[in-house]
This record gives sequence, C-alpha cells and structure tokens, in this order.
Amino acid sequence: MNRKKLYPWYFASGAAVLFFLLCFLPGIIGIAYSFTDWNNFTNDIRFVGLDNYKRIFEGNSEYLLYIKNTLVFTVVTTIAKTVVGLALALLLTRPFIKMKNFQRMIIFSPQVMSYLVVGLVFKSMLHPTTGFLNNFLQDIGLGALAKNWLTDLNIVFPTVMTVDTWKGMGYIMVVVIAGIMSIAPEYYEAASIDGANFFQQLKSITIPLLKPVLVNATVLNVTYGLRVFDMVYSLTNGGPGNATGVINTAVYKEFSKGDLAMGTTLSSVLFFVVLALLYFIIKSMEDTEV
Amino acid sequence: MKKNVVKRLLGLSMAAVLTAGLLGGCGSDGGDGGNDGGSSSGGKGVTLTFGSHQSGLPTSGIVQDLAKEFEEETGIKVDFQISPDAQWRDLIKVKLDSGEAPDIICVDTPIGLASSIHMDQYCIELTDQDWTSRMEDSARSAVSANDKVYGITFPGAKMYFYLYNKQIFEELDLEIPTTYKELKDICQKMLDAGYTPIYEATTNGWHQVLPLFETGGLWLADDPDIYDKLNANEVELESIPHLLTIIEQLDECAKAGYFGADYLSNTMENAKGAMASGEYGMIINEMGFRGEVEADYPDFKATEEMGAFVMPWGDNQVIGVNPASNAYFINKESKYTEEAKQFFEFLARPENLQKRLDGQPELNALCWPEVESKYSEEDQAFIDSLEKANVVQTSVNYIDSQWMDVGKDLEAMYTGAMTPEDVVDTIANRRNEQAELQRDPGWE
Repeated sequence: MNRKKLYPWYFASGAAVLFFLLCFLPGIIGIAYSFTDWNNFTNDIRFVGLDNYKRIFEGNSEYLLYIKNTLVFTVVTTIAKTVVGLALALLLTRPFIKMKNFQRMIIFSPQVMSYLVVGLVFKSMLHPTTGFLNNFLQDIGLGALAKNWLTDLNIVFPTVMTVDTWKGMGYIMVVVIAGIMSIAPEYYEAASIDGANFFQQLKSITIPLLKPVLVNATVLNVTYGLRVFDMVYSLTNGGPGNATGVINTAVYKEFSKGDLAMGTTLSSVLFFVVLALLYFIIKSMEDTEV
Repeated sequence: MKKNVVKRLLGLSMAAVLTAGLLGGCGSDGGDGGNDGGSSSGGKGVTLTFGSHQSGLPTSGIVQDLAKEFEEETGIKVDFQISPDAQWRDLIKVKLDSGEAPDIICVDTPIGLASSIHMDQYCIELTDQDWTSRMEDSARSAVSANDKVYGITFPGAKMYFYLYNKQIFEELDLEIPTTYKELKDICQKMLDAGYTPIYEATTNGWHQVLPLFETGGLWLADDPDIYDKLNANEVELESIPHLLTIIEQLDECAKAGYFGADYLSNTMENAKGAMASGEYGMIINEMGFRGEVEADYPDFKATEEMGAFVMPWGDNQVIGVNPASNAYFINKESKYTEEAKQFFEFLARPENLQKRLDGQPELNALCWPEVESKYSEEDQAFIDSLEKANVVQTSVNYIDSQWMDVGKDLEAMYTGAMTPEDVVDTIANRRNEQAELQRDPGWE
C-alpha cells in the first residue's frame, strides 16, 4: 500500500538532513558543551563532568530561584490564561452580546503586538509617580491601592504574570471560541428541554467537548511559560535585583558574561524539563482520544 | 500512470527549489569582511569598513563627517557598520576569530587588562606612527599592551562629579560636603525643604555603581600598590574596607529617602529633565552633562546654575579619573592596512581634532593636549586643584566586566533582598569565578 503513496520518503530527506544539521545536531552538541568549561576567554575547552549541573543544584544558588520562578510563572500563567480565556470565550459566544467580532478583535489584539512594545508600554504605565495606573487609581479615590508595581519585591512577579496573561489570554479565547462553535447546538437544546441551567450545561456539555482544545491550549501555554524571556526581559530585566529572573534571562546573562558552558547547561536543564513535561502531556492527550 | 510521473517530477523539483531556498540563507555575505571590493592599492576605489558599537561613535555624526572629508581628499571611502552596545563585545570577538572583522574596529579600552578583548593579538602595531607621541600618556597606555601602541583614541579622561543645583544650595544655605556625614546632613535639609536630594536611576543598570569604583583614591591612599596586588590576587577584594563602607552608606541614603521615592523606576534618559525641573538637588555625572541639559532645556542655564564637587562617599576627596574610552584599531587581516593608517593620520591632524571636539556637545576635552579643552576657566581651575587617582575599573581586572551585575546587586540591596555584606561577597565571588574561567595565573 505504501508504495502507492504519492510522495516517497526521499522527498522529505532534504528537509530532514537540514533539520538534522541545523537543529538536532547543534542541540546535541549544546548538551555536550554543558559538561565542559567552554567560555569566551580561552580557546581550549576542558571537560569538567557534572560541575556545571552541581553549581545549579547545589546549596542555595541563584539558579534555583530562576528555576522556581520559571515553574511558578508557567503554572500561574497557564491557569490564568486558560480560565480567563475560557470565561471570555463563553461570554463572547452568548447571544445577548452585541458586536461580538469587534470585541473579540479588541481582546485578541495584544497577541499581535511585540513583547518588547508591550513591555515598554507597561513599564511607563506602571511607573509609581508618572504612570497611568497609579494616577488613575488616585483620581478615582483609590490612592491606597497605588503601588510600586515593578520595584516592590512582593508585587513585581504577580505584575509580570498579569501583564503576560493580559497579552496571552486573547489567543486562548479565540481557540476556545472555535471549539465552542463546533459543538452541535442540539446538545444544548436537549439539555435545556431537560431543564439544565447554564452551569450544568457548562459542566456536562461544554467542558467535556472542549477537552481536546483545552489540552492543546495547555501544551502551548506550558511550553511558552517555560521558555519565557521577552516579557520578563522587557518589563523588569529580571529585576529588581534577581527577583524576577527566569531560566532564559539567566541563560542570556551567562552568555553575555562569557560563561558559555553555564548558559548551555541552563538551556539543557530547560530542555530536559520541557521534554519530560511534554511527554506526560502528550501521553494524557492520547488517553483522552481513546 | 503518466499523470503520476508528472506529479512526481513536479514534486521533486519543488522539493529541490525549497531546499535551495533554505540553503540560500546559509551563504555568507562577504561584504562584511571588507576583503573584497576594488583591488587597487592607490587608494581610489578602496572602501574601508569601520565597525563600531553605538556609543563608540558620537551621536552628532562628526566622525562620519570627517570620513566624508577624508573621502573627498583621498578617494578612500569609509563604510560605517554600527551594532548595539550590549552585543558588540561578543560580536566583534566572533568576527575576529572567524576572520570576518571589519578593517577598522572600534572597541572600549583599556586593552591591557586580562578581561579586555586582546586587540594586540588581532590588530597591527602602530607604535611607529608619528601621532602616537602626541596623545596623553594615560590615553596612550589605554591603547597599548606591553608598551606597544595598537590604537588611536580621542575623548579626554572621564571624571564623575556630583553636579549640584546652586540655587537650592543658596536657598537652604548649604555648604559643599567633604565628608559622608556632611553629605547626609545636606540631604536631610533638602528633604525637609521638599526637594529630592539626589537623582538616582537604577533601571539603566550602570549609574548606581559609580560610587563604588570611582573612589579608587581611597583604596590607593591605604596602599599605593593595591591595584597590582588585587590583580595578582595577593589581596582579596573583600578585604578592602571602603567597598563595604560605601555600599552601606548607599543603602542608608536610599532607605532615608535621599534618592527620592522612584529611584528604582527612574531612567538616566530622564535625568536632564529632572535636573532642569529644579526639584532635584544633585546628580552624579560628568561636567559635560550640564551642556546637554542646557541644550535640551534652554530655560535652565545648567552651565551656570550647576556646580560640581567630588563625591564624598566614604569621605573620599580624590577625583576618579578614567582614561579609558573607546579607540580605533586596524585589523591585522585587512587588505587595506596602509589606507587605514592614512585615515588615522587624517583624524590626528590638529584641525580635525578641533573639528571633532567642536562637533561633540557632550565632550569637554580630548586626550590630545595640543587641543584646548572646552572647560571654562573656573572649571579648569577647579579640576586642576583636585587630587586625582585612576578609577578601579580600568586598573583592576574583572570589575568592569561585571559592572551591570553589580548594578543589579545594588538594586537587590535597595529592595531588601540582599545585605551590603552579601553585595561585597557576590562581587568578590563573581570576580574569582571570572578569573578562574580565564585561568588567571594569580588564581591557579
């Protein structure tokens, strides 16, 4: 049967060879470099075994904070984007909402903006004295809520995650809307004849039928969250101090410091984490399809 | 059947086209190397490539203007390739190692420190050029390695002062502080009168670090050989008392509100406006900053309204002099080294030096003593009256390379995530780490 296929395997070989040479091989070499002391200052590279990994996981190194921050960021933004995206999608598919497409477009629009632009705009909006947010709060008599959004240690990370959620929720909303539209209206009709209210319908019809869509959205959110860089870099550059540093800002810092081996070690750690998580997520996806 | 063959052929050729398209991106653009182009040796038709980071070339474009005049005179064109500051150091290293570096390279000096880019390995020696003897000694040493000159540099030594608003000082009857205690006192008085005593901005990452290393005079007063001993690792950085003292003082001032409420959100780009607003008392900057303020805010006559004094952190009274700046070097691999030397000669002509100084509002002096500085008589007399010492970052290894990291450490201290002791330890550890990475003999 396979022989009758229109395109034989060797048609893909060009792309496969390029992928192997330009993506796969450098990746493997990168992992190999994490066992050396490769740096910017000398040309000879020495094998140092697991020293770089030890430096990450030993004692109370700053790298552990970056790994913790990355995981917190991933979990919180994934849940927030999914919940808010789902809520907006449910709202914007209700029949009583006017100008649905216009509103969907507005909520989706942050998605098409560059991270750097969003970061710079929010940086000035969140400035403690000249920023829009604090001035607005003061004008409506809520001056007590005005905060040092990007410099207070207790608030800065939630701020970054909120901005990221604001930017990313529109995309999840669009994906979920597409999912909702594909659910046959007969289910809802039957349910309402049986007297099911909105929440019962949501629990028994919408959510179960949206499961594949939500799993996909979660995969996207998790892989994005673990690899986050631009949002943190443009808003706080990992600051104040190292409070909002994540793995990729640390990788960037190590590379610019010239400690290339440490940079590749951190990237390798990230790679293994993403690989492990994806394995489980894809496994669970297979289960749902069966 | 026939249809299938046609489809196959079509598919195969499409795949080939796509592959070729992908590979097309892999080709190198030889233009960067500057090794192509005209092959004549007489100058005409030659294009010199000049690679620099953004801050290596004055924003006024005066170097480009000079290059145009050079082209009119000799027919040799200079093509400027400018890269962002943050990436330049890594980029030029890669380009030098891969043989793709431009003919003329602009990098930050000094080049003699272990942590510098080793331009002596990549560039031709210029010791035999006539102009080398006309540069100031300190500037010449910044572009030299092992007593051989490799580059040409122009900006005069950098000195960071506290620039203060004379009007506020008069109004509150304040004296210029010479000790930390006096500085604290005047800050408190300004704060009580409703002014913000000091404009500080930590978001740029570099400005808050100046008090730590511009006060090398304190270190040298304890031991004149301290810089050499630190470089040989005979003395540890942690053992220098002034470092911790000054960091503690910075912390104290920040907590007392002397930097205002927003110093963690402020940027240096807004410093001019802040000083011109008259709400801030002092700022650490070069004297030329006043000219920049006046250019942007003509209503505030900054050159008259702002005075200068030595930063009294740790009771320091010695002005830190930083002879390092950026300098131009000629790539060893370049085909046009003679033409590049010609360009340097052209730039070193007295009339062109003058043009350079005139064309750069932020620059007060060149490191060429034959060109008179733009300092007013008063400023010049003030500078001449001061005791001077080289700053730490141009003399001690592995300080300049972690400058921005130290800025973050201080930021962490201000937010309460680190103590002053932690900051000193972190700086020292980072220094050891970098020295070990580079296999510095002092650390073996």
